[in-house]
Amino acid sequence: MKKNLLFEIGTEELPPSCIREGVSGLKKILEDKLTENRLEFKDIQAYCSPRRLVAVVRGLGELQKSKIKTVTGPRLKAAFDKEGNFTRAAEGFARSLNMKVSDLEEIEIEGRGLYLGKRIIEKGGKAVDILPDILKGTILNLTFSKQMTWAGCDIKFARPIRWILALYDNEIIKFSIANLNSGNVTFGHRTLHPEPIAIKDAGSYFKLLQDKGKVIANDIKRKELILNQMGKLEEKVWKGNYRVILDENLLNDVVNLVEIPNTIVGNFPGEFLYIPKELLVEAIQHHQKYFAVLDKSGNVSTKFLIVQNGIRDNDEIKKGNEKVLKARLSDAAFFYEEDRKHDFNYWIDKLKGVIFFSNLGSMYDKALRLKKVSAYIAGLPAGSGPYEKDDVSSYLAAASMLCKCDLVTNMVVEFPALQGVVGRQYAREKGEKSEVSKAIFEHYFPRFAADILPSTDVGLILSIADKIDTITGMFLAGKMPSGSEDPFALRRKASGIVLSILKGKYDFDLTDLISYNQNLYQKSFDFRGINDLKISAEIKDFIIARYRFLLEKKGKRLDILESILGSGCCSILDIDLRYKAIEEFIGSEDIKKISFPMIRCKNIIDKKEFEEVDGELLEEEYEKRLFSSVNKKEKAIKDLMCKRDYASVLAELYEFGEIVDLFFDKVLVMDKDKKVRSNRVNLIKKAVDLYLILADFSRLTVESGSNV
Amino acid sequence: MNFQDIIFNLQKYWSDNGCIIKQPMDLEKGAGTFNPDTFLRCLGPEPWNVAYVEPSRRPTDGRYGENPFRTQFFYQFQVLLKPSPDDVIELYLGSLKSLGINLKLHDIRFVEDDWQSPTIGAVGLGWEVWVDGMEITQFTYFQQMGGLVLKPVSAEITYGLERIAMYLQDKDNFWDLKWSDDITYGELHLESEKQWSAYNFEVASVSMLLDLFKKYEDEFERVIDRGLIFVGCEYVLKCSHIFNLLDAREAISVAERTSYIARVRNLAKKLCSVYLKKREELGYPLLKKE
Repeated sequence: MKKNLLFEIGTEELPPSCIREGVSGLKKILEDKLTENRLEFKDIQAYCSPRRLVAVVRGLGELQKSKIKTVTGPRLKAAFDKEGNFTRAAEGFARSLNMKVSDLEEIEIEGRGLYLGKRIIEKGGKAVDILPDILKGTILNLTFSKQMTWAGCDIKFARPIRWILALYDNEIIKFSIANLNSGNVTFGHRTLHPEPIAIKDAGSYFKLLQDKGKVIANDIKRKELILNQMGKLEEKVWKGNYRVILDENLLNDVVNLVEIPNTIVGNFPGEFLYIPKELLVEAIQHHQKYFAVLDKSGNVSTKFLIVQNGIRDNDEIKKGNEKVLKARLSDAAFFYEEDRKHDFNYWIDKLKGVIFFSNLGSMYDKALRLKKVSAYIAGLPAGSGPYEKDDVSSYLAAASMLCKCDLVTNMVVEFPALQGVVGRQYAREKGEKSEVSKAIFEHYFPRFAADILPSTDVGLILSIADKIDTITGMFLAGKMPSGSEDPFALRRKASGIVLSILKGKYDFDLTDLISYNQNLYQKSFDFRGINDLKISAEIKDFIIARYRFLLEKKGKRLDILESILGSGCCSILDIDLRYKAIEEFIGSEDIKKISFPMIRCKNIIDKKEFEEVDGELLEEEYEKRLFSSVNKKEKAIKDLMCKRDYASVLAELYEFGEIVDLFFDKVLVMDKDKKVRSNRVNLIKKAVDLYLILADFSRLTVESGSNV
Repeated sequence: MNFQDIIFNLQKYWSDNGCIIKQPMDLEKGAGTFNPDTFLRCLGPEPWNVAYVEPSRRPTDGRYGENPFRTQFFYQFQVLLKPSPDDVIELYLGSLKSLGINLKLHDIRFVEDDWQSPTIGAVGLGWEVWVDGMEITQFTYFQQMGGLVLKPVSAEITYGLERIAMYLQDKDNFWDLKWSDDITYGELHLESEKQWSAYNFEVASVSMLLDLFKKYEDEFERVIDRGLIFVGCEYVLKCSHIFNLLDAREAISVAERTSYIARVRNLAKKLCSVYLKKREELGYPLLKKE
């Protein structure tokens, strides 16, 4: 018979981030343990509230599935004597199993042959006998990014565990952990129903907990409820004149700060409305987890929403919260006023006292480097980037010095989430050009995996410079990411570099830029024992690896990328253009006509030192034709490369392939005359180099990629 | 309920619940945690249940008396329970009841607030407790002190007395709080708040403070080597306070800041390990009492 299992870990108030870790961990671990123990079930759901992590396993079988255990004894050959009777070894083996020899069977062990043995069906145990260990193990295996111990306990959890409820339909699964015995008792709301509630049957838990305990243990329901309450206010009470700023992260936190949500409206004095919008909204949301409300024209209104924990009908709670917000806002106003007394020169000076990273100097040093690195990117000889305006250079110079300034403002010290936002605001207030203030805000983009990119050249270039500079510095300091550890989010930054380069179409050699940046560090700081070239190559590979990752995510062919990298191309933009050309070529032509001849050439090359081809030594028609073709194509291809006309380069190489094939068909490379042979290999090397201008086509996997 | 009555009530409540009631320490400090009755007593296996008022100073929080509830001087009511009792939150909620707060009518929240004090190598996990949005208490399970892992773990409950009084008396700022029937908190403290704010931010002699820091640091080393733990503790606290004053004067750059914090922490670490060793030598006297 199938039953339902209810498992509740009752705790003191868990932080929202721990709740999220806990609820997904609980489901995963329990699921794994049940499966491992061959207990069948229909499904598992996990729920949470600040004081409980709950798992419900529906349709959980009462018995473990049976298991076939195979035991083997002597080899079959050794089990019978010449007359075909069982040997003593076989008899002994049977005895050890308490069986007759005639009950035994042949068992084949893969790769080892036939043995005498027995397949024994082990009947599964009862779920109720195994569940205590499973549930206890689940608690022990749950981990959180921040853990603690309490009293004299040896176990670690996000916060102290205070009760455990474990019911298999109506039967208690009994076990002990951390001085607690599991039982059938839960607790309701901390203050509205602190008394214990006995649960008789797993199925009645949620309803009883809500009706009697005033707790909604289902987080999704709590979220819906909050949204409903807000929606009602917007439509029915405010009649569409106001709307709530629904910050998703804030909402998810608030859902896990209450066991039963009740949204009420408060007001703050209008005197604070002069604080710029984004700063004001953050001040409302940040500490107190209130929701800000906008009026019809999109300005912050004096209304705000409090989501309280529990339904109580009185005005005290509203009044209390209003008082608190007023004080918070007067603090924000104080910081804003203090900041307004200063100018950017003051902040730039203060940056000297802010460490960028230990041994990597101050943020002021970083700003100076940003100025140079961004100028380097913007000032490169024109490729295809649309940055040839003098203005961009002057905006970049200004934005480089200003972009980190807000880190030392009171406002950002108090509200760290406002970095970039405050910088932009103050730049506007101080009359900086809008390109500059925008770039101050946007140079942090992309801030998370799917974030937008900067919208202007100034923003894009500054963003690239900032990220290259951080990555270079961290590699120099030995803080490169390893495995899943990436505390400085360097991978995300590298992805940001790639995406920004592609968006702005900046064509530059990554290694050159990294070396330039690295030099700036090494001029000022001491990095003993650092191998310059090795580090810059590692950084380049690190960034290219992110490009590879982005291609892979889009389901693109990595062999094309590898073939381009084989040419030594180090400009992300250029790699991208070549990729597109080759991809398009593969879509319409047979790439084998390029790759196979190249592979034929590469296979012949048997030496490392090459000389110029000696025209005098060429005897046969097809080698002469190959020689003249290589020379002609080389010039044509180099011209086309300058124009980035890779489609035409591919067309040239396609043609060239026929000449190579003819050469191999008609000419014997391995001539008896050593000189002639060596000269031919030199010629073939020249052909290989011709291909390599665009890509190393021998690295393409043609079977899967060919359209033939 | 007058300010002084809140203190009386809490003292009575915690005394009824097994705490000894101590008096504040006669030294400047940033919080009740720095009092050796918490700072040192949380170390080691001996049980310890104590409650006391602690006048506290945080120079950078001064607002010249202009902010309704941010000040450089305030009173904490500190409770330390070692080991942390299983019903510690219920005990705490009981203390709110003893102050006349009807728990069913108000929104009590435990909001994550993990606490660290790098200057004394302390780490704890816990909450700030809100009543109707107002933070009135810090609640912490100490995990480390002086860089040493604590076992058993203590629960530290720190009441912000002014905030509780604002709440109970329905006042908008500290200054209007009634200390007793006849006198307000402002009458007692506003003028000194203004003067100290000015001193902390504008007047304090940086050269004198830098000099004192060094001297106190040296004195600590001198006394701790002679096994004078409680004397040493005071020099750690003095260094910590001077560092806070220098911070308020913006006299130390960020780079130096880290090294100053490390210097105080090193003193604290040394102090804690010497204290623990001493208690062990003494055979953990409070353990035997149990």
